[in-house]
Amino acid sequence: MPVDHREGVVHADQLHRANPPSMRQARDPFRLLILSVLLLLFVYLLPPLYNLLLSLQDLDLFEMTAVGGGKFIGLRNYVELIKDPVLYKVFLNTWIWLTAVTVVLRIILGFALAVLVDADALRRWHLTGLARTLLFLPWAVPPVVAVTIWKWMLNSQYGVVNLLLLDAGLVESGINFLVNPNPYITWWSIILPIVWKETPFAAIVYLAGLQSIPQELYEIAQIDGAGRLAIFRYITIPLMRPITLILTFMLTIWTFNNFVYVWLTTRGGPADLTHVMGTMVFYQSFVEYRLGYGATFGVFMVALMAIFAVIYLKFIFKRA
Amino acid sequence: MRGRRLSRVCGDMLYIALTFAIIGLFLFPVFWLIVSSLKPLGLLFSTRITLFGFEPIFEYYRQIFEVGFLRFVFNSVLVSIVATALCMLLAFPAAYAFSRFRFLGKNLFFGFFGLTQIFPWIILVTPIFIIFFFLGLSNSYSGLILIYIAVAIPFTTYMLFGYLEAVPKEIDDAAVIDGCSTLRTLFYVIVPIAVPGLVASATHAFIVAWNEFLFALTLITTTEKKTAPVALATFFGEYGANWGEVLAAATVTTIPTLIFFLLLQRHLLKGLTAGSVKQ
Repeated sequence: MPVDHREGVVHADQLHRANPPSMRQARDPFRLLILSVLLLLFVYLLPPLYNLLLSLQDLDLFEMTAVGGGKFIGLRNYVELIKDPVLYKVFLNTWIWLTAVTVVLRIILGFALAVLVDADALRRWHLTGLARTLLFLPWAVPPVVAVTIWKWMLNSQYGVVNLLLLDAGLVESGINFLVNPNPYITWWSIILPIVWKETPFAAIVYLAGLQSIPQELYEIAQIDGAGRLAIFRYITIPLMRPITLILTFMLTIWTFNNFVYVWLTTRGGPADLTHVMGTMVFYQSFVEYRLGYGATFGVFMVALMAIFAVIYLKFIFKRA
Repeated sequence: MRGRRLSRVCGDMLYIALTFAIIGLFLFPVFWLIVSSLKPLGLLFSTRITLFGFEPIFEYYRQIFEVGFLRFVFNSVLVSIVATALCMLLAFPAAYAFSRFRFLGKNLFFGFFGLTQIFPWIILVTPIFIIFFFLGLSNSYSGLILIYIAVAIPFTTYMLFGYLEAVPKEIDDAAVIDGCSTLRTLFYVIVPIAVPGLVASATHAFIVAWNEFLFALTLITTTEKKTAPVALATFFGEYGANWGEVLAAATVTTIPTLIFFLLLQRHLLKGLTAGSVKQ
């Protein structure tokens, strides 16, 4: 509708005063949000609730006939879960091997790589950008591909890792990393692709952190006679603390819930030596076809995550 | 003076060489994947390490295209692009609402968006599989797209929120005073300013969708609708793999994400790290 411009201004100005733009029509934000919120509720709220219901049922994958078609069996799945001898092992595997080891390695390596790239020598020759891009590259590689590459590199006969070990005279015959009766060795075939593919993310976050440290801070320290090591120890590391905290927390959650690396590398094997929480849910539901029991493992995971969620929400609101 | 300068140049060169040697070592797996996929059988299954200096062959690529691997690549392209486009269409208004309005339940919604980021996706799989089965969405592109939109929306919204916070609110105020409705302001005034942010978050959404494995594995059951990552995983047989084909398929599966990544990494890096450093 064409409006006389001058009149429009006056009119809008009055409106503006009565109703500041930051508080425009109350319905607007809801119209903007509604589709996203509905979709997220459908995907993130409805299924967990249904999951809770499923955990009380005995439902076979091939016997799904009606909604909630399973037999209600009360808490029998939970009793079985607690008595399951695998649970204890799976729980330790998830925390120690899948999560703790890989998170610590990623934090250390990520920080080291960030420090390496955040150097004046690279900046003087305008190479920081290139170094950063190359460093970040594995992040974009699909996890399936990361696992494929490492499976090939760790191949017992023709893998480059074994060939190097043989050349160096460290082993007499190639190590079978992927199927090894010693779970400590099998675990490294899972840890390596995770650390390789996921370290760049930590490195990039640290690098952004390092670059946000004001240059004057270093200059003042230098004038005060601090050496390189002292500057690193008393300025750089303390300033990276908050990033380390958030990063460790996020990586822990993401890794704890991860399914894809273990499943693609070992499928929880040999036997069930490398099963983790994520692969157990999938294994029970889609290999054993016990949807109810698989859901029970899921409820257990959600309960653990609920503790983390409380801490996480505090982070978010501090930032927003 | 000149001597000191020369020694600094030498020191720089040494440091740069060392840094790129370490980065090169770090990227070796990608190099090894591509090189191996081009080796003739005799070199592929050899106990000697060959890095360069052989006649590359494309035999494995020909083999995987003959068994229809391009079909899976097409499926991945279709699903990822549609999911990315729809995700942007939903997430941008959501980010705008969080950035520009105060409303009842804002913190609740903002927290809910964040919570989905730490949610164990694996536990969604079983119930979604059953729900989709009864809604007739299992084994369909649209079902998978729906999931990928939902998977990408929260982080996309957060990323765009970060960008919008940096856009002065006076710009919208001016548009509103000139009589623009909220939606018009959003699409005609804010979108053009936020292009770098949109590009970055769209890249991110695309890579997330392209790389996704779990839902693609469970929700798609017929071979011809499988995505490239899932098809690649099926190349490993029960008792071993046809390595030449596996490595060629892995290379093909990586190329699209790498292209997007290299073209848009500058925007992407800024967007990904903006939130984490702001304190």
